[in-house]
Amino acid sequence: MSRPSILVEDLHVRFRPYVDRKPTLRRSFGRFRHRQQENVVALDGVSFSVEKGKAFGVIGRNGAGKSTLLRCIAGTLRPNSGRVVIDGRTSTLLQLGVGFNPELSGRRNVYLGGLAAGMRKREIDERFDEIVEYAELCDAIDRPVKTYSSGMFARLAFSIGMHLDPEVLLLDEVLAVGDEGFRVKSLSAMQSLLGRAGTIVYVSHSLDSVREFCDEAIWLDNGQVVASGVAADVVKAYRDSVVERPSG
Amino acid sequence: MTQTTSPAYYTKRLVLYMKELWRRREFAWFLAMGNFKARNASTVLGLFWWVLNPILLSLVYFFVFGLIFPGARDIVYLMSGMFVFHFSAQSLTGGANSILQNSKLLVNLKFPRLVLPLANILESLIGFLVSLAVLLAVQAVLRGTVPGVSILLLFVVVPLHFIFNLGLASIAGRLAVPYRDINNFIPYFNRVWLYLSPIIWPLSFLEADAAQSFAEFADKNPLFAFISVYRAALIGHPLDPNMLVASVLWAVVVGVVGVGVFVRYEGKIARHL
Repeated sequence: MSRPSILVEDLHVRFRPYVDRKPTLRRSFGRFRHRQQENVVALDGVSFSVEKGKAFGVIGRNGAGKSTLLRCIAGTLRPNSGRVVIDGRTSTLLQLGVGFNPELSGRRNVYLGGLAAGMRKREIDERFDEIVEYAELCDAIDRPVKTYSSGMFARLAFSIGMHLDPEVLLLDEVLAVGDEGFRVKSLSAMQSLLGRAGTIVYVSHSLDSVREFCDEAIWLDNGQVVASGVAADVVKAYRDSVVERPSG
Repeated sequence: MTQTTSPAYYTKRLVLYMKELWRRREFAWFLAMGNFKARNASTVLGLFWWVLNPILLSLVYFFVFGLIFPGARDIVYLMSGMFVFHFSAQSLTGGANSILQNSKLLVNLKFPRLVLPLANILESLIGFLVSLAVLLAVQAVLRGTVPGVSILLLFVVVPLHFIFNLGLASIAGRLAVPYRDINNFIPYFNRVWLYLSPIIWPLSFLEADAAQSFAEFADKNPLFAFISVYRAALIGHPLDPNMLVASVLWAVVVGVVGVGVFVRYEGKIARHL
């Protein structure tokens, strides 16, 4: 067995809720009470590893810690304890259009988004035509991004993310946007990434797409791993639990 | 764990950080230019506002304070101070906002967070340089004078002022993340700072009997030093070497402290967004 592409060991993340909220008048009055509040545990001892060439799904209720987990893997959130080891160039598509400025042209935003994600300007120069072609934007590339339809926006953002040539791709429900054509296209792009021994971590509420697309999966609840293993089994276990307890 | 607290460890970490920041310089520049272009993209006058804003600002103060202080009737004097002040004041407001307004970037991508205040200062710098060009044009028209070789002083004072402002922006950005109250406070601080700086009152005001207690600490203001050097560079004031030295000290102290405080804190930023 080769070295795992992603190794997550005993990850713990806690948030203090009073700093986690936007300041409001009510908060300032209630501040003392909030200070005494317990920490919110977002991740509570999560461990797993993902091999190269595998797609790994993360499922669970809202607030189960899925996004927190992805942020730790992306390196934007420092865990309280535990460690994450990643082997390879990582691209995150947790949100689409990160770094975009909607007032500016698509052309300019290709550079903004690419530079934000860690590309050099020279690399973007080289891949620019490919990025635009893949996003099917043609002449619209010189229009401000705020005039784009949500599908065009998503295609451009996804195209930039894929042209980073990532070895590890972190996805958060990105495929939910865009039409059927885009869905098929992005799926095939991801399949070809897996074929090149790339690794994908996919967070989604769409259980069918996790079952179809992912090799393995974990089910998180309250920051803990409830089940892990073959994606179809984990999805089934999660589905059964939701049926038993419909309101969550 | 003793090793991780040694000065050598921090120095090494800071060097690595600066290398990574340098690698991401294109990102900082595109972010700055992007915001610069976008800011007025929807307005009729567009980029022209970058010239118009400093002119209008100076005219407002010229009319209001020209009535109170006779010295402020010199628009070239007023503009020279006002533009320098404006660059620093913008660094404080912009620095505080640069972190909070880019939460989407911070949550999703890994990069040296200092890119954000840096991009903000770069953006202000573009506007500032435009405003200095306006100042020279106004001076040429009203006084018929242009600066001589003294203008070369800009190559010294602009970088110093830039570093000073980066320090300010970093401190403001650092504080604004856990204490969003800072955003409410900065405009008042800036207004007091404006009144304490030699902009709307003439330098001769410090010699007045009534101003003696104020004169004692007026030159402890970092902007007093920077404005003094800018005026020597641009509008024919004599250069006071002490003010040049003071500018260097302010830039080094505020720049180093600001960046240091920011970099030490940045791992915690994501928890507060």
